[in-house]
Amino acid sequence: MEAAPKKEAGSKPTFAEYDYSNFYYGAGDDPMNLLGPFASWYEEALPNGYYLYSEPVHSAPTSRVRVQDRKTGEVRDLLNLASYNYLGVSYRDEVKQAAIDAVHKYGLGASGSPILSGTFDIHQELAAAMASFKDKPAAILFPTGYSANVGFISALMRAGDNIILDQYSHASIVDGAILAKSKTTFFRHNNPMDLERKLLKCTGKKLVVVEGVYSMDGDVCALPEIVEVAKRHGARILIDEAHSTFLFGPNGRGVAEHFGLDAEVDFHLGTFSKSLGGQGGFVCGSKDLIDYVNAFARSRFFSCNLAPSVAAGLLAGVKIVEAEPQLRAKLWSNVAYLRRRFVEEGVDIGKSTSQVMPVLVNNDARVFAVAERIQERGLFLQPVTYPAVPKHKSRLRISVSAAHSEEDLEFATRAIASVLREEGIVK
Amino acid sequence: MTDGKTRYGYKNAISGFFEFPTDNARRILPSHLEPVEVHHGTSIFAMTAFDFDESMVGSYGEVVMAVIVAPIVKAGERLPKSAMYPYQVAVTSKAARDHAIERWHLPHWMEDVELQFVADKGRLTARVRAGGDPVAELSISDHSWAPVSHLYQSFMKDDKGAFQANILMEGGQSEHEEELGKVVLYDHPFNKDLVISEVYDVPFRELWMKEGRQTFDPLITLQTV
Repeated sequence: MEAAPKKEAGSKPTFAEYDYSNFYYGAGDDPMNLLGPFASWYEEALPNGYYLYSEPVHSAPTSRVRVQDRKTGEVRDLLNLASYNYLGVSYRDEVKQAAIDAVHKYGLGASGSPILSGTFDIHQELAAAMASFKDKPAAILFPTGYSANVGFISALMRAGDNIILDQYSHASIVDGAILAKSKTTFFRHNNPMDLERKLLKCTGKKLVVVEGVYSMDGDVCALPEIVEVAKRHGARILIDEAHSTFLFGPNGRGVAEHFGLDAEVDFHLGTFSKSLGGQGGFVCGSKDLIDYVNAFARSRFFSCNLAPSVAAGLLAGVKIVEAEPQLRAKLWSNVAYLRRRFVEEGVDIGKSTSQVMPVLVNNDARVFAVAERIQERGLFLQPVTYPAVPKHKSRLRISVSAAHSEEDLEFATRAIASVLREEGIVK
Repeated sequence: MTDGKTRYGYKNAISGFFEFPTDNARRILPSHLEPVEVHHGTSIFAMTAFDFDESMVGSYGEVVMAVIVAPIVKAGERLPKSAMYPYQVAVTSKAARDHAIERWHLPHWMEDVELQFVADKGRLTARVRAGGDPVAELSISDHSWAPVSHLYQSFMKDDKGAFQANILMEGGQSEHEEELGKVVLYDHPFNKDLVISEVYDVPFRELWMKEGRQTFDPLITLQTV
């Protein structure tokens, strides 16, 4: 019997042996007991790659950003492949001026809950603009996308109801289901057959929740098949279009419009932080629905409303998106260009068919070194590893923007492909 | 064993980790243990098959059905990789069964089972039969291999009390989440604690260790309410 290398019991956790998931659960006599092991592990994880997270950005998130290296303190100019800002709107002069004007008019913040003193005329204008954009009777705003999912799902569903989620659902959707105290089941990612198996076991109220574009793989929801299954089983459907509002469909309303299923989907939710590069979330639907959500979405009415200046900037952003469909066209042209170049260079982007592109490294131990080398070549992007994605499915996540030029994308392709080739990940 | 530790050598140890309802996990677990959830409402059922070739009671096969639970973490002590509550253990010899019940308080199927390992191109299948009838069949595949030394906790409860065993697993390890494995659980009294139709039959994680050693620290008696 060949003996494996031995370690002393009691030795501190090593970086490669553990990950975040090991520090979540811990029984014992003191809630502080996990802090020591985590601190010990994080001390080693930080210089080995985790410093690549939360690097301070010193400029607007345009296609070029100034980023501070957390190890050296140096501020570098990098090509930005990490920020959402899919349409490059957040730093447009019209948007900035609208926000500045709103600061002059309203001051810093809303100073109140939206159901008490925190609703301003600018919030009402933004909500009306969103309802119009989504071609729905009404809309309601939330301070963040996270609070939109948490608040909406828990406003609508109760203990004893059924919530059926895609296994890759965003944490805000899962947390909404937890807060609702409903029976929660997960179906295999984008798999209508498994959804049907799960629905067959449900009685009573049923809500199926999907996302337009999934944020780790960049794949698009199999909405036609999912809608067909859900309808057949009497389930309502909520679509979170965080990564697809303003981008997909003839009018940019999202994946539901893209598939011609706007009317079939019961609840439409989205965020302002992705395509518009701002902040906040929204739900669009009937007036009755919005009135009900206004009354029961605790994440909303127990939070301060969006800052009026942010609402004003978002309103300007919505107007730009409506007036300039060429922004969407430019984004999709960029996506097609980058996808073609990655294919030519042998770079694996998995199942992505959207502006979210994972560059698959598939090696949990090396993904940080790969990301570090790519950043040294002048690109700003982050590694994603377990437990955010399955083991051995590590990747670099790229966000393509309409603000990128073909030269930017060519530079990115060459830098990424050359590092992956040098690391033996691309042959 | 002068240091108080008990050692077992194995040729192969394969585990599949499967999603199953937390309601089912809670029905199995004693009240002092908390299931680890892979998703909200979804806990982890683990099936492990060992091919022991070195122990105080000779060579034998063992199958362990367990629920993954929160480990006990104490300041200044090594953090375990994970913890489990074995609720059904079966072995291929009476000597192995008597040893494990007496020493580790593990709940056993009280008859010898047949445990057959079948290797095929990077895949290992463990077939379990009890009383001549099929009980379970676990199949997993390999990935990249690396030597490891991982600490686990195992919790037991019987009429003599509640116990904790710290177990060091050493050997070559392959671990992945490619969803290539499978479990078949048969309608048999052995599986009475599971709602078989609600166990997802493809493991979200597959773990294979080989040519290794399993070392138990002396058993710890837990104070529970």
